[in-house]
Amino acid sequence: MSLEPTTKPVSAVSLQNISKRYGDNVILADVNLALSPGKTVLLWGSNGAGKTTLLKLIASRLRPSAGQAQVFGLDVLQDAAFVREHVCYAPVLGGFYGSLTGRENLELARHFYGATADALEAALARVGLNNAQGQLVRRYSSGMKKRLALAKVHLSGAALWLLDEPYASLDESGKALVDDLLQEAKRERRTVIVASHDLARAYALSDAAVYIDQGRLYARSPAAVSPFQPAPREAVGNHAP
Amino acid sequence: MRLSVWEGTKQGVARDISTIARLAAKDLRLEIRSKAVTIATLFFSAIVLVILALAIGPEQQFLRNGAAGALWVALAFAGVTAASQSYQHELEDGAFEQLLLYPIGRATVFLGKLAANWCFMVLLAVILVPLCGALFGASFAQNPGLLASTIALGTLGFALIGTFYAALTANLRARESLLPVLMFPVVVPVLLAAVSATSEIVQSGNLTLARDWLRLLTGFDLIYLVLCTALYGVVVEE
Repeated sequence: MSLEPTTKPVSAVSLQNISKRYGDNVILADVNLALSPGKTVLLWGSNGAGKTTLLKLIASRLRPSAGQAQVFGLDVLQDAAFVREHVCYAPVLGGFYGSLTGRENLELARHFYGATADALEAALARVGLNNAQGQLVRRYSSGMKKRLALAKVHLSGAALWLLDEPYASLDESGKALVDDLLQEAKRERRTVIVASHDLARAYALSDAAVYIDQGRLYARSPAAVSPFQPAPREAVGNHAP
Repeated sequence: MRLSVWEGTKQGVARDISTIARLAAKDLRLEIRSKAVTIATLFFSAIVLVILALAIGPEQQFLRNGAAGALWVALAFAGVTAASQSYQHELEDGAFEQLLLYPIGRATVFLGKLAANWCFMVLLAVILVPLCGALFGASFAQNPGLLASTIALGTLGFALIGTFYAALTANLRARESLLPVLMFPVVVPVLLAAVSATSEIVQSGNLTLARDWLRLLTGFDLIYLVLCTALYGVVVEE
């Protein structure tokens, strides 16, 4: 018995030997990650590498086939209900009811997250959907749906944001909005994992980067394969290939 | 300390009830806007009643004898369609997945969807009962309180099983054909008790027997309520 665990700071995300399989199809293989609270991490990799699966697993939506996953010290399997109180996952597309208006969708989210009515108004204003809040979501463009998802993240007040392709479908002002939200998250000491193909943009706002390939995680910045110059980075965890 | 625990529990329960009401209102609002299930089930149920009335023939006694059975056949078929369709809006654009990621309990999600499906079936019954009465020459107004209890409990049992199994089959390609196959064997006790109670109320007027069937129906509903609520989380996990 050691007293060390009680004195060790709790990781925002801790993955130990995580695997996820569907039959013989291995999606995640022996993934290890320790992410300190308040850090922003870029998760990058090609299509089908396992980014979304990893995010859903951290969000407690998927059960790992093997290994242990914890969010702020809470087990994603045993304490899934508590994990969801601290996590907000924004998917690549959708996640809203098309036959409800943007406002009605956010009203539901507001109730579930226990946010105030003022927070809802602030979130709508922040993402620039004030004028479109009364429209049915099925009439929204992809970019507007993405803004609505960002409003939900803003509204959630969650300590851990999992953003799956936050820049996708957005115009330049939308992308700037994502940048602002990421900077705000950093100021508020929120932990953020950004899965993105917009590497230069996302990496510029990240404290570290992890690369995922065929379900395996590597500590590798996109600078290794991209022409842009990386800023100095702070180590935020350990990653095992 | 005891008071604060009690207050906390009370607040938690109030919050869960409010969440259930919001989820049910959301489902009903989606249905009011699309009207897809309402039109399909109403039309289908009315056709079923007309066909059964025509098949039984003009003999008034035979028609009256078949009234309770015909009503529940129409409600059962409509209930399967409603249950199956109740997850269609959820599956569009990954909304259900997001719903499961909110910090709300799986049981709360189930009870919210159940409340919406039950409301829908009760409303359907309110329309079908007079139609059935007119087509089959049966007087459903003899014991309105007992009849209302039978319909409320019978549709609750049906909605319970429908909501549960619809979640189980929601992601399957063959869900339309699989749902009735899975549902009907389980729902038989509910249908049997509901038809028998309705039949006693409408035809023979043996209210003691009708109440016995209602007690049995209440028992089935309670068992299904506990089982379905407890197992829903397992069914919707990936």
